[in-house]
Amino acid sequence: MTPVLILALLTGAILFGVGIYGALSQTNLVMIMMGVELILAGALVNLVAFWRFLHPEVYAGQMFVLVVMTVMAVEMAVGFGVAIARFRAKGSVEMEEAGDLKG
Amino acid sequence: MVVQAFFVGVFGLAAIGFGVAVFRTASMVRSALALLFSQAAVGCMFLAMQAEFLGVLQIMMMATEMSIMAIFMVMFMMDPGGLGGMDMSHQKRFSIGAGAIAAATAISVALFSDWGPIVAEAPDAAMQTRELGFEMLGRSMLVFETAAITILTAMIAATAVAIPVRQPGVDTGKLDKGNGDKEQEASK
Amino acid sequence: MSDLVFPIVFPLLAAAAILLLRRGAAILALAGVALSLAASLKLLRAIASGDSATLLLPGLPELPLRLTAEPLAALFSVVVAAVATCVLIYSVGYMKRESGLPRFFALMSLFVAAMQALVLAGDWILVLVAWELIGLCSYLLIGFWFQRPEAANAASRAFLYTRSADLGLYIAIFILIGAAGTSQIAATLNVDGGTAVAAGLLLLLAAMGKSAQVPLQDWLMRAMAGPTPVSALLHSATLVAAGAILLIRVAPLLAPNVLHAIGLVGGITTVAAGLIALAERDLKRLLAASTASQYGLMLIAVGAGVPLAALLHLLAHAAIKSGLFLAAGEFQHARGGTALERLRGVGRVRPWTFLGFALAALALVGAPPLSGFFSKDAVIAAALSAPNVAWLAPLALVGTLLTGAYLARTLRLLWREREEGESESRPVAGACWMGLGVWVLVIPAVFLGLTFGPIEALLGLPGPEAHGTTAMLFGLLAAAAGLALGWLVPAPRLLGPFHPWAQSGLVIAGGLTFWIGRPAMALAYGCQRLERGLYATVLSVGRGGLFIARGCGRVERGLYAVVLGTGRASLAVAHLVRVGDERRIDGLIFSLVAGVRGWGDRARSLQSGWIHHSLAISAVVTAVTLIILLSASLSF
Repeated sequence: MTPVLILALLTGAILFGVGIYGALSQTNLVMIMMGVELILAGALVNLVAFWRFLHPEVYAGQMFVLVVMTVMAVEMAVGFGVAIARFRAKGSVEMEEAGDLKG
Repeated sequence: MVVQAFFVGVFGLAAIGFGVAVFRTASMVRSALALLFSQAAVGCMFLAMQAEFLGVLQIMMMATEMSIMAIFMVMFMMDPGGLGGMDMSHQKRFSIGAGAIAAATAISVALFSDWGPIVAEAPDAAMQTRELGFEMLGRSMLVFETAAITILTAMIAATAVAIPVRQPGVDTGKLDKGNGDKEQEASK
Repeated sequence: MSDLVFPIVFPLLAAAAILLLRRGAAILALAGVALSLAASLKLLRAIASGDSATLLLPGLPELPLRLTAEPLAALFSVVVAAVATCVLIYSVGYMKRESGLPRFFALMSLFVAAMQALVLAGDWILVLVAWELIGLCSYLLIGFWFQRPEAANAASRAFLYTRSADLGLYIAIFILIGAAGTSQIAATLNVDGGTAVAAGLLLLLAAMGKSAQVPLQDWLMRAMAGPTPVSALLHSATLVAAGAILLIRVAPLLAPNVLHAIGLVGGITTVAAGLIALAERDLKRLLAASTASQYGLMLIAVGAGVPLAALLHLLAHAAIKSGLFLAAGEFQHARGGTALERLRGVGRVRPWTFLGFALAALALVGAPPLSGFFSKDAVIAAALSAPNVAWLAPLALVGTLLTGAYLARTLRLLWREREEGESESRPVAGACWMGLGVWVLVIPAVFLGLTFGPIEALLGLPGPEAHGTTAMLFGLLAAAAGLALGWLVPAPRLLGPFHPWAQSGLVIAGGLTFWIGRPAMALAYGCQRLERGLYATVLSVGRGGLFIARGCGRVERGLYAVVLGTGRASLAVAHLVRVGDERRIDGLIFSLVAGVRGWGDRARSLQSGWIHHSLAISAVVTAVTLIILLSASLSF
């Protein structure tokens, strides 16, 4: 009997991996943010699985999940604000053209 | 248990599948929607794991976020429809490698660690919500407040960043500038 | 009082005026001596009437200069002035054709002033000063024609002889002043004892020098190279008289031993100088020898203790000899020289002058009633009455005889012409002046004897005791014999084997040239050799020093080179070190810098500015950090 925990953890791991792939390989800022969303989703899955199957009485786990969700939302908001600014300044949000900070 | 396992597995696969689809498609809208569905599947997973509040929260939030994202994508993308057929990715091998390694590491950790006894029973939703409330406004008050402040800050920051930059060099001393300039400036 | 000063001052002023104005020298000189003569006569008259005067002039501290007017001094003053006047009158004519007259007349005037100062002096310091002055004037006047070598030599020789003898005067004066405490002559004459003897002998030495006594007689004969007026004034009547005057003045001081010495010196001189005169071939030199001989007679008189006789003879001789010289000067102009051979028969050409000459000569011989007769008489009488009559008297008589001999010879030669024919005579310029001068002196030469009585009375000095008639007889005999011999017998035959010796001036073993000159020159050469030796030594020392110095120099140069080389080597080493150091250190540093830069550049490549690179790096670093943390947590 495969514990559900394992399944959830596996899912989280794979989501994490896909998210990393996406964050590293995409040229567009919004796509990169999508990858980050996926990473955070994987983390959330793990968190919930640990809360549910190891310590369901400790609601700090759920608190943690709320915090992560907040972070996801905040990150998206600020990120899109930056994307607007960037788009206004340069006309595109392609990260391959964003070499201004090159040392 | 089996049922739970089944649903968790199904929704898990869906999440993964839609997640992969995010990056495989060339169309922006489809990417956004795929992400939306992936996040929704994750929310369903929460529901399957009897974290009702969290699951609902997830699905609601993600849906909204993804919709907005879809709008932004259409605004900013070079080729929103994905009809150009360009491969918009770089350092592909590295990324694949990194992802694979990360996933493998996490999987190995998941499989080879002793997680301890699995708790079978979970409290019901009402109870969860009540306890979560107590937790939030009790022990984790500081966390809660910090999160609130952070959201506020982020809202302000996002707005500030998104405000358009004023044109530099407003001339008030030059006589040869006609009224047209002044009108132009006034209309800004 | 002022009468004392005038005889000195007038000729002095004349000399100064001549030197300043350089014109009318003769007139100024004549005026000077004439006024001096007038002043002297006035002084004599004042003294004769009983006055006496002393004049003090400022001198050395506690030793003021003094002029006294004693009868003796006044008499001498008159004699000097008179002879000077006549000679200067004469010299107007004699020097008519000469150049440098201002110098001549100025020197003559200066000499007269000095001589007056000498005779009128009352203290030894003034005597000394005047003595030196007359010596100086003599030198300058003898060497008047200094372009002629014999004149210059004669002047130097005269000066040397007299100056050497003057040493006696200096020492004598110092002794006397030291003994008496004052320089007044009258006071110092009271000294007696050993001091008196010493002073007397030294004064004799001084007198020998000035009066040309043996062995210092040669200078007088050589001095004849000067102009004849000079010979007449200085070297017959005044300068050479200074010696005799000195002895006459200090007669009270002289001790018997000293008197013996004086007499001896005088006697030897009389005879020796007489012989020389007999053999002489030059008229002026003959007269010079005669002068020396006559002064020898005077010294005999002083040595006999009768200075009065010497004084009388001095007075007579002054007039006579001056006259003789002046006449000789005229003959010299007539024939162009003074060699007796040349002057043969000149008497016939210039008869008046020759007459004067003859009269003076006879006076000198002692023919009565001329002045010389009385004075010679007195001298011989003094010699006969002297303590040491044994040799004084014969010497005096022989002297008288010789006087007659050479004078007769001279007269013969001047009168008788040469056998070969008449000699050439020239007209004489200024003959009137010269003749006047000659006769003005010849007259006193003839008639001075008349004044001897009043002079004796004036001076108050004792005359010779007794022997008056004997003296007169002997004197006349000797004079007559001499005259006869001189006139009839030629000198070579007369002197016989002594003739060549006498002709050379009675030189004994080379004379003073040999006895004094040669040792002095030998000493001088010795000193010169010594000096050269010293010089060579000094030079060699110097060279040695130089050699050492050069060696040191070389060593020093070597050291310098070594030091320099060391310095350069060190510099090179330092340079190398610096370069190497710089390169190494710099190299190190730069390589470090380059390394760091390189790493920086490489690190820079990390900052590509692209987000995906940053993300990739973040992913890797996060993974690494996680691994580390996990392994750490697992191991603990």
